[in-house]
Amino acid sequence: MSDPVLQLRNLTKTVGRRNIVDDLTFDIPAGEVFGFLGPNGAGKTTTIRMIVGLISMSRGEALIKGVSVRHHFELAMTHVGAIVENPEMYKFLTGYQNLVHFARRHEGVTKTRIDEVVALLGLQNRIHEKVKRYSLGMRQRLGVAQAILHRPSLLILDEPTNGLDPAGIRELRDYLRKLTKEEGISVIVSSHLLSEMELMCDRVAIIQAGKLVDIRSLQETRDSAQSKIVIETGDLPAAQRLLASAFDPSLLTISGIGQLELAADKSAVPHIARLLVSAEIDVLGIHAVQKSLEEQFLEITGGEMVV
Amino acid sequence: MSSLGKLIRNENMKIYRRPRTWLMIAFLVLAIGLMSGLMKWDAGSDDHADWQQRLSQQNAQLQQELQDNEKLDADEKTDIGNRIKLNAYYLDHDIDPNELSLWNYVNTSASLTILVTILTVIIAADMIAAEFSWGTIKLLLVGPASRSKIMLSKYIATMGFALLLLLLSFAAAFGAGGILEGFGGLSRPELTIAANGAIRESSMIADALQKYGFAVISLLMYVTMAFMISAAFRSSSMAIAFSLLFMLIGNSLSALLSGYGWVKYLLFSNIDLTQYLAGASPLRPDMTLSFSILMLAAYYVVFQFVAWLLFTKRDVAA
Ligand SMILES: Nc1ncnc2c1ncn2[C@@H]1O[C@H](COP(=O)(O)OP(=O)(O)OP(=O)(O)O)[C@@H](O)[C@H]1O
Ligand SMILES: [Mg+2]
Repeated sequence: MSDPVLQLRNLTKTVGRRNIVDDLTFDIPAGEVFGFLGPNGAGKTTTIRMIVGLISMSRGEALIKGVSVRHHFELAMTHVGAIVENPEMYKFLTGYQNLVHFARRHEGVTKTRIDEVVALLGLQNRIHEKVKRYSLGMRQRLGVAQAILHRPSLLILDEPTNGLDPAGIRELRDYLRKLTKEEGISVIVSSHLLSEMELMCDRVAIIQAGKLVDIRSLQETRDSAQSKIVIETGDLPAAQRLLASAFDPSLLTISGIGQLELAADKSAVPHIARLLVSAEIDVLGIHAVQKSLEEQFLEITGGEMVV
Repeated sequence: MSSLGKLIRNENMKIYRRPRTWLMIAFLVLAIGLMSGLMKWDAGSDDHADWQQRLSQQNAQLQQELQDNEKLDADEKTDIGNRIKLNAYYLDHDIDPNELSLWNYVNTSASLTILVTILTVIIAADMIAAEFSWGTIKLLLVGPASRSKIMLSKYIATMGFALLLLLLSFAAAFGAGGILEGFGGLSRPELTIAANGAIRESSMIADALQKYGFAVISLLMYVTMAFMISAAFRSSSMAIAFSLLFMLIGNSLSALLSGYGWVKYLLFSNIDLTQYLAGASPLRPDMTLSFSILMLAAYYVVFQFVAWLLFTKRDVAA
């Protein structure tokens, strides 16, 4: 793998006495879609604001392609395109004029490149209309267009799917994939929606109360997903007693709808069936299920995840 | 890394693509047109045909007064003497002092620079605060341009707008004067009497430019103040309201409190340098031209520094 595109080193933001971002340290390699996942108020936006220099860092450092944001802001920013929360545009200008505005800040963004990006985001039909007549989704696209004009190495998108319809979300996803595969750029996407992250990201950092809880590859998480066996019987207390003696009782739970759940993989199903039948307990159903990613993340964050 | 020139073009685009700006410009030109029309109408009501006769009459009366009135002190005597001399000069050189020339229009337009100042103050107060109101500040700052550079580009664009309005008001008054009085009066001199009693001919354009020059100084100060206020507020309407408020009540406040010694340290007491011209008296007797210039320079530096601090050092969490 090439050098990391973004390195965070003990990044901390203190407001009053509270660390709203607390000692974040991790790297983001090139060509990866990286998710910031965390419940509302976890500090995702605050972290992004520090990376792009909107707010000062209380402690620590962010390096973009090895360039310190704190010490060489202008140079570091030549590698970054970003939208932070809702990308507000100049409403009295047309979409195109807005893009010209942002293109002028960079060297070497040609008219052809602007047209290319406009086409890429499917804005060509209405690009010469005033932005005040745009829908939320169109503004979001214009925001993304603005962020990729100068072919950044790192694209930072804070809640990019906000306001996009399902088709728009899918397009964005496909487009991000394309950018990472073809141009080798890295993307940071923040979201509190796991379902989005699942489809978009290679890895996610889970942030909670300003702290890094875990970084995991979604592929590995899927592979190592634990499974459980759901058992429905005619006599719940008897079945519970029986299984608690046969298995480790801590693996056994009762779900909200009166089903027994046993943390085990499906090889245990025949054994359980035999046990229940020989004890003359009516078996209504036994099946093995994989824990969803969602459940796993809820476990990691202690059930606080807003999904 | 962004070039300053391109950033200035961006700021210009944001100024001149707004309909509001063109309303302001139209308003200014209209006001100057109106002023010129009023001047013409007012002058038309006097009878100019017998101006030579009236000047001779006036001189005879003044002569009479000089001889008969015993109570005149030395100052008043030289004053009357000067007026007689001036009138005689007008008669000798066949100049009607009450006839309007194009320069009168330009001169009067110099007093309308207060309008230019107000309009530029509105633009300046909006310059930074509006980016916060619109929420566009985030995208503006996330780019390869330091905040200092962005601020400089905004300040330069604001000054460019002021310059445009000044040129426009000069040109509009010049045009209106030319249309109403003909462009023939261009070379008419401005007559003044020097301290030694000699009559001096000076060019009227120099006089008009001097008036504009003084107006530009106060414009520069007010606009820089508004710019600082713009950096302090996150709402453009608040920034505009406060800037205009300070500007409009500042002067009367200074005049009202001129009894107190500390008033001379206020911006508003120093901003009008015409108070040091011959024939005018400063707000407080202990104030001098160099004192005022020093004060203005100090205020200017402080305004710029505070604006810079506010704009570059604060967190943008909006
Ligand atoms: N300027 C500030 N002053 C004080 N506290 C702040 C400030 N900005 C953010 N916070 C607090 O910091 C925490 C993190 O906020 P942040 O906006 O980074 O969360 P987030 O992860 O982006 O949440 P969301 O999913 O809702 O967008 C919140 O508790 C918030 O109240
Ligand atoms: Mg957020």
